[in-house]
Amino acid sequence: MKLSLSIVLLLISFQFGYTQQTTTISGQVTENGSNLPLPGVSILIKGTKTGTVSNSEGQYKLNLPAGQQTLIFSFLGFESKELKVNGSSTLNVSLSTAANALNEVVVIAYGTAKRSNYAGSVSQIKSEQLDNRQVSNISSALQGLAPGVQSVSSSGQPGTTASIRIRGIGSINASSDPLYVVDGNPFSGDINSINVNDIASVSILKDAASSALYGSRGANGVIIVTTKSGKNSTDTQISANFSTGISRRAVKDYEQMSTDQYFESYWLALKNKQLTNGLTDARARSIASQNILTDLGINPYGANYPQPVGLDGKITAGAVPLWNDSWQKAMEQNALRTQADLSFSGGTDKTQYFISGGYLNDRGIALGSGYRRYNARVNLTTQAKNWLKTGLNISASNSKQDYPMSEDSNTANVINFSRSIPSFYPVYVRNDDGSYRLDANGQKIFDFGDYRPNAAIPRSNLAATVGLDKNEIFKDNVSARVFLEATILPELKLKTTYSGDYLNSNTNDYANPLLGESAETKGSISRSNTRTYSWTWNNILTYEKSFSEGHHLSLLAGQEMYKYNSKYLSGSRQRFGLPGLYEPDAAAQLNDFGGFSVDYTLLSFFGRAEYDYKNKYLLSASLRSDGSSRFSPQSRWGTFWSLGGSWRASKEDFLKDLPWLSNLTFRSSYGAQGNDNIGVYYAYEALYRINNNLGENGLVTSRLATPDLKWETNLNFNVGFDFGILKDRISGTVEYYNRRSKDLLYSKPKAPSTGFTAIDANIGALQNTGIEVQINAIPVQTTDFRWTVSLNASHNKNKITDLPQNNLISGNKLLRVGGTIYDFYLREWAGVNPANGDPLWYTDDANGHKVTTNNYTLAKQYVQPSALPYLVGGITNIFNYKQFELSALLSYSLGGKILDNDYVALMQNGSNPGAAWSTEMLSHWTPENPNTNVPRLTTDNLGWTQASTRFLYSATYARLKNVTIGYRLPKTLTDKIGLQNLKFTLSAENLLTFYGHKGMDPEQTVNGATYYRYPAIRTFSAGVNLTF
Amino acid sequence: MKSYIRITLFAAVLTLVFTSCKKELTTAPTNAVSENQVYSSADNIETVLNGTWAYMNDTFFTYANPGYTTILRTSDAMGDDVAIITNKYGYRDAYQFTQANNQTRLNAMWTILYKVIDNCNNIIAKTDAASGSEDKKAQVKGQAYALRANSYLNLATYYQFSYLKDPQAKAVPLYTTPTVGSTEGKAKSSLEEVYQLITSDLNQAEKLLAGYSRPQASKFKINIDVVHGLQARTYLNMGNWALAAEKAAAARKNYPYMSSTAYYNGFNELSNEEWIWGHGQKPDQSNASYTFNFLDVSSSSSYYYSFMADPNFKTLFDDNDIRSKLFSWDGRPGREGYLRYAKFKFRADQTGDIVLMRASEMTLIQAEAAARNSDLTGAAGYLNDLRAARKANLFDVTGKSKEDVISAILIERRKELWGEGFSLSDILRTQTAVKRLSYNDAKGDPLQVSITTPDGTVKTVAAKQHTTLKFPDGSPFVPNSSYYLFNIPQSELNTNPNLSN
Repeated sequence: MKLSLSIVLLLISFQFGYTQQTTTISGQVTENGSNLPLPGVSILIKGTKTGTVSNSEGQYKLNLPAGQQTLIFSFLGFESKELKVNGSSTLNVSLSTAANALNEVVVIAYGTAKRSNYAGSVSQIKSEQLDNRQVSNISSALQGLAPGVQSVSSSGQPGTTASIRIRGIGSINASSDPLYVVDGNPFSGDINSINVNDIASVSILKDAASSALYGSRGANGVIIVTTKSGKNSTDTQISANFSTGISRRAVKDYEQMSTDQYFESYWLALKNKQLTNGLTDARARSIASQNILTDLGINPYGANYPQPVGLDGKITAGAVPLWNDSWQKAMEQNALRTQADLSFSGGTDKTQYFISGGYLNDRGIALGSGYRRYNARVNLTTQAKNWLKTGLNISASNSKQDYPMSEDSNTANVINFSRSIPSFYPVYVRNDDGSYRLDANGQKIFDFGDYRPNAAIPRSNLAATVGLDKNEIFKDNVSARVFLEATILPELKLKTTYSGDYLNSNTNDYANPLLGESAETKGSISRSNTRTYSWTWNNILTYEKSFSEGHHLSLLAGQEMYKYNSKYLSGSRQRFGLPGLYEPDAAAQLNDFGGFSVDYTLLSFFGRAEYDYKNKYLLSASLRSDGSSRFSPQSRWGTFWSLGGSWRASKEDFLKDLPWLSNLTFRSSYGAQGNDNIGVYYAYEALYRINNNLGENGLVTSRLATPDLKWETNLNFNVGFDFGILKDRISGTVEYYNRRSKDLLYSKPKAPSTGFTAIDANIGALQNTGIEVQINAIPVQTTDFRWTVSLNASHNKNKITDLPQNNLISGNKLLRVGGTIYDFYLREWAGVNPANGDPLWYTDDANGHKVTTNNYTLAKQYVQPSALPYLVGGITNIFNYKQFELSALLSYSLGGKILDNDYVALMQNGSNPGAAWSTEMLSHWTPENPNTNVPRLTTDNLGWTQASTRFLYSATYARLKNVTIGYRLPKTLTDKIGLQNLKFTLSAENLLTFYGHKGMDPEQTVNGATYYRYPAIRTFSAGVNLTF
Repeated sequence: MKSYIRITLFAAVLTLVFTSCKKELTTAPTNAVSENQVYSSADNIETVLNGTWAYMNDTFFTYANPGYTTILRTSDAMGDDVAIITNKYGYRDAYQFTQANNQTRLNAMWTILYKVIDNCNNIIAKTDAASGSEDKKAQVKGQAYALRANSYLNLATYYQFSYLKDPQAKAVPLYTTPTVGSTEGKAKSSLEEVYQLITSDLNQAEKLLAGYSRPQASKFKINIDVVHGLQARTYLNMGNWALAAEKAAAARKNYPYMSSTAYYNGFNELSNEEWIWGHGQKPDQSNASYTFNFLDVSSSSSYYYSFMADPNFKTLFDDNDIRSKLFSWDGRPGREGYLRYAKFKFRADQTGDIVLMRASEMTLIQAEAAARNSDLTGAAGYLNDLRAARKANLFDVTGKSKEDVISAILIERRKELWGEGFSLSDILRTQTAVKRLSYNDAKGDPLQVSITTPDGTVKTVAAKQHTTLKFPDGSPFVPNSSYYLFNIPQSELNTNPNLSN
């Protein structure tokens, strides 16, 4: 319909073109600066759908109807221009590139600022950088896009978020998560509920000047998400996106032994154990051959080979495994990802609106996992009176996450399960000859493996039960921000904003009564519900005035209150009478019911003053005082502040005339921010946890009194400069920071014999220093081809500068002055004793010399490198050729270590029969192979898989996060069919990974620990985006 | 609107805002209470005793470490008569004497015992000042003394060799006052000091609980009988035979032996007439019941069934003995040829009460004390008292030496108390070695046994037997080996610099 209408319009304009009074207008479009002709520029007569496109020389010609005097010139990557013809017949135009960082408006605390005269350190990510990404939430999209940001997606499970660390780790025990601010107010909802396609920009506030105004909660940086708003336009703009794709594992899992290799190796372990027990070699061989099948519980070689491993330790001649089942394959599913979004935006002078709706369905690669979300948003602002403005942003989302257990050592972990069972245990029940046993309906029967040894998870077959069981998380999130802004005097404004975030999270864990572990107990169900409501109400007064001779003053004063309430309920029942019933009522036995709630309040007062002179010199200062309900009345108030200044040197007379320098601005700031997020909400009284006993009230000590516990403070120094050269063909920012955290909120370990394992204390100081570089360049720009490159790199050095007692050991890490907070502290692997195959570790003898021992408990822990990388960042390349666009984002993380405990599960020395075995175990010690890094096999636990440097691997990696090829239909074509824009894309997420330790997904947690995580997934998808 | 109206409006809003109360900043937890609310009255203090008890018994560290039962299971796994299925989760490292590598377990046991001590220290220190009847205060304080003594008795038993070997040996640190923020880890005290505290605590408890009458259904509460039982155990460890016998007699006087039927009921009922002390379980408080997944070798709902009996253990019973009927050779897939001793069974709701002290243990203490005091006839009398209750052949003392009698009593302890947590403590106490024998024919091949598979087929398979017959370094089992001792966890070594001072 739209198409035919356009054709009619075209026809009309052609038909009547000659009869009406028309003038012809022509000219050339060039690029500002280079003066190269710009082809393909769209030229539209304002208020009509009539227009043309510049030719290869940048020239255009257009018939202009009477009364139509304004032309709009627009071209991708350039700023649009609207020009009046004013009766002339020639109009030459030069367009400037749009990416002019200087005039960029950045969102900052309680307002916006022009990048060019802002003293704080802010990185901004715009919606175009997020458009092509196949990610479900903003935290997963930030990796590699902004300097100073370390983003780690430790789980590939759809619907999970990434951990974000801004400028290093500022706390030891208190949270190091940044504060999320959405549309002006702190956000406590589910970050997954925000549709990435609704986001207009993301600002990352990194230094004191930018984030101190969020004083109480800005210590770890602030991420400000601003959603799209409507624009003043006559037509409502409708935009639709659709993409669909398929996911796979991004990296392959650890390689495992074949059945033959496994049987021969385990035979040897059995034999060696019997030798230890004092038996003769012949007896030991015979017992090993006899016992291997009972230990492993199965004979994959069939009944014809009752003793498949002979006395020589080799597979009997002729014996071949009758099956070789991949549990990994059995535990995978077709992972489809579909996303569809529709939005409407528009408005008048007074009222603007943005309305959107979205759908996402992301099935994970692991059986039974997935994420489905519906979301809707309305953003509305209106100028009610000339002095009164009001607005409402409201968003709602509903999601269901199918979350079969992962990130857990539990055997029901779908990732771990598929890795734990060797391939000689069949997925489906087999007959002795290896053929499938079929049920009455001719169907294969899942094998639950009653006979499997414990390591191979007997009586369980998740491939069968994951579909029957349910592990669901339902989330409903409603977030609203409403404001009223009154102009009291022209310079004086009062804005009051109320925001509420409501999140209801409901989990349902149902174990079926028919098959698997829960069958004996007839199934079980547990439900939990967490209802969280938090609100922020702030009142902000601003005064802004320009004085004569270029003085400009801006003042802000405000008050804010934040309340958080979370109510938790859970219950469980077991014993379902009948299958097909999924609600608790259907289960006969009540197992548990409980719940509690949590309250948290913050009250804050704050102010900021900014002064600038001729846009050249700028000074800013802020002060904020916060009271937190976490601390005792006498120590709950903390005061935070910042000072900052900037100097736009390129505006000075002595630099003004340098032709190659388009911008040079120096900035610096210093200030303090706070952190009260110690993880508990009541951090001052001695507490007794409620622990009832058999119907009687019970209490047990849980916390020691800490009346003096107070805010952790972050002192943040930042200095840097922004530059632009060759008319901003090359631009960038270089910054240095020194972030010192003092009075760290720390759970100081106590001797467990005192009855407490830790006490909360403000102890020690931590320092993060770093350099961040961001460079944007356009190395090539011709008429048809444009190459944009954007590169960022951040180096951070984390250092503990003070501790009340040196050498605090926390698990596998050591905290010490001069070290980082994630320095591994491990027993040092000294290799395998070539004489007897024992594992060896180092220890110190009486004289302090390093000697080896085969007794793990006698081995000494030594300081090892840190888990933290020394350089993280990303490189984005965008190539535009005519209507094509190719973009690639490579993110990297260099340095750091990971202790791979997942791998350890595949490295037992024979003490855990039936446990899957890595191929590396084949290089175990034997008298013939004395020089190796894997000890001898025996069924005794040699303790060698315990934490040591043996399993410490490099964490360096690079990942091609995203590659997208896009094709945009030429304007001439889209105009004809009545569309403003039509674009097709093919994209790949996590396309390639470059790393060292095969099998381990290099993207693990920030502290370098693995924990049976859902691996990263690679998604290929195709999409279409249209606007009309 | 005129600007003065706007200014008025603005002033009104500001007033509203700044009066918003600061008192909102004081919040309170809902699943914990502040200490100053706790110690006001004796009734409130009793909740600390309840909570401590629940903590001690029902705290999971991992599934293999469910509360206090962890210590009991470890003790049996390290002894003679349980042949752990080593491909099962749980206690294989204890069985193989490699538990020093299991920091989770070491940490669990240590933490449980000392957390209980600190809670008891609070009760003992703060009860006198609280309101409430003197009876109630005596009860609460007496129970706290006894519970503290139980923790220290465990520590003295498993973290150092026998008191009779060297009373001056440094064992574990002693704490007798409530821990506060500034409390530091203490140095190890000698066994003598630890036993002094235990006996003095139990004497206090004995006095304080003299008038306390325990509700029949609440055998998880400590009464004077439990105190006497703990005293009997303590004096047995210390070699004070007369007192051990006297207290054991006092402990069991209200508890007759259970019937044969009750013996077959699965050792899961607190109401069992023979139980002096135990811990109750319900579907909503069932963490301790998880231990039945290891102990229960016959219920199909048992998850690990790893506590199989050593076939040589079966030979200790005569056929008349009601206990011998609990043996059967397992015929189920994956477990063919294992010897089940079906003493422990889950209840239908997957729970089971935990037995902590029974009359027959007291009888055996009386017997052993008498024998060690050279009263062989008396000793045989007590022994046969129990044997008669189990319908076993009686012991004929004629011509038996003191060693013979003691040996018979120790064997009876293994038979009667199997799976109740006495194996390792007896080995340490008597300064003997672990004895694990193979179950083979003359040629050295495993003896064959007849089993019935679930589909009814009868077949002959090799009997499953002990798989660890030596220490991990290949050396033979010897008395007083450090392999028998529980190691102090790394977390304590890391945080307590005073420990070895």
